[in-house]
Amino acid sequence: MFRVEKLVKTFGGLMAVTQVSFTLEKGEISSIIGPNGAGKTTLFNLLTGHLKPDSGTVHFKDRDITALSPHRICRSGIGRSFQKTNIFPRLTAFDNVQVALMAWQKKTRNVIQRADRFFQKETQDILDSLGLGDKKEKTAGLLAHGDQRLLEIGITLGTFPELILLDEPTAGMSPEESYKTMELIQQIVRSRNLTLLFIEHDMNIVFGISEKVRVMHFGAIIAEGTPEAIRANDQVQKIYLAEEL
Amino acid sequence: MRPSTGNTEKSNLLMIGLILALVVFLALPAFISEGWISLVNEMLILALAACGLNLMLGYAGMVSFGPAGFYAVGAYATALILINTKLPFALAFAAGPLIAGLSAIIIGWFCVRLTQVYFALLTLAFAQIIHTIIFEWYGFTKGDNGIVDIPIPQILKSITHYYYFSFIIIVLSLILLWLIIKSPFGKTLQAMRENAQRAESIGINVRLYQLSTFVLSGFFLGIAGSLFCGFNKNVFPNYAHWGKSTEMLVVCLLGGIYNFFGPIVGSIVYLFLDKVITAHTQYWPLVLGLIIIILLLFLRGGIAGFIAERLTFRQRRGESAE
Repeated sequence: MFRVEKLVKTFGGLMAVTQVSFTLEKGEISSIIGPNGAGKTTLFNLLTGHLKPDSGTVHFKDRDITALSPHRICRSGIGRSFQKTNIFPRLTAFDNVQVALMAWQKKTRNVIQRADRFFQKETQDILDSLGLGDKKEKTAGLLAHGDQRLLEIGITLGTFPELILLDEPTAGMSPEESYKTMELIQQIVRSRNLTLLFIEHDMNIVFGISEKVRVMHFGAIIAEGTPEAIRANDQVQKIYLAEEL
Repeated sequence: MRPSTGNTEKSNLLMIGLILALVVFLALPAFISEGWISLVNEMLILALAACGLNLMLGYAGMVSFGPAGFYAVGAYATALILINTKLPFALAFAAGPLIAGLSAIIIGWFCVRLTQVYFALLTLAFAQIIHTIIFEWYGFTKGDNGIVDIPIPQILKSITHYYYFSFIIIVLSLILLWLIIKSPFGKTLQAMRENAQRAESIGINVRLYQLSTFVLSGFFLGIAGSLFCGFNKNVFPNYAHWGKSTEMLVVCLLGGIYNFFGPIVGSIVYLFLDKVITAHTQYWPLVLGLIIIILLLFLRGGIAGFIAERLTFRQRRGESAE
């Protein structure tokens, strides 16, 4: 469904992403882990059009989407969340999700009708599924950190993606919060029949819900497999051990 | 549901305020001298120009330093057609905003490629180009002599009649602007203002929407320019000068850029202060400077923003007291 082939990106001689290839099957929940600076976020930026690759291709549903602009890639059915909380801070939580729905359904060119008429129920459904239903009138930027992270996922869901790419969805959360959030995400992904690829720094969280784990190190994917296989992989252990020392 | 009760209460209050304002403005000519009617007329035209600018500034978060360029294009388009052709007034009047909108398409196409301070400076540069063209092209625009004694229909020559004419045009324009900001398009602009990168990731073509805003804004500035052309019956190159742009920016900030009525309040307060203070001292720019400093340091939401905040505060207190 989603196929990445030999993606390369260099920044002034530094290889940030080196010959990365992988494929995702429909409905798969998988993750990319790796130490800081391994190139995980750069890889995501290449997949969503925020950066242009030097070479390599990205195919989604048999269509070449390499280096399309971010809004075109979003339109093709790939939703993304960001590592740094990336919401519309001075709009209400409700408006944050509603505007994503309107963007997706191409209602944003409508200048005559009132925006309140659109997607009341759909917006409410997304907020409810994230447990934000009763906070919809609150200004997004004033929500608690964890709620802002969830709202960010809400915005992503508003574009009805088939594939979602989440960049450290639990960044800055406490361990308990992180587990709860990942469980919630898993539940939403299953019930909406989505494909999920997420980046995570914390190995324990990753192993809990991933069917497949990819390990990135110095810009390359050095191992790929089930959580058990990855856990047993010598090379991976060395990288993570080295980091802990 | 508590929040929505609060909202209806607020919108009822707003409705009453608006109807009251409408009645006051309609009845005004019966009670005040022609000099004051002229001043109110000027306030309303400036209010429309500032609201047109604020669509960009407050709603889409695009800081333009060159709104006066489109204002002047509107004014000169109407003036030149009236002076050089036998076309009816209505057509000459409509040509103002249309030509201003067209020039905004061309200028905007370049400007939306930049952001923030680069965007602001490019808008300023284009407005100064418009100013220079008007100033230097004697054969066409009569340069710094301006175009004087522009013929307008007999019926609009009376100060009161022109007041009602511009009042109707301005109210219609403001209703249109109100519909725009309440529409999905308007919501999209606000999302773009808050976070352009995120807006792009939910499938919004940010540049295209910025260009549309630029053109709409230019169109409304053009209406204001055309209205002022008929009001003054003379047009001068300084309509496009950066001083005029600054005036519009100050009016927006004074009233509050995150409130629809901000620029209207700002325009009324600004011109009123201008007239009152100039009557007593020639140091109006000094007072203006102080006002800008106070605004930026203590009243970031402007006057309308301040009032809206107070109202919400009272309402919240009322709710928690229940």
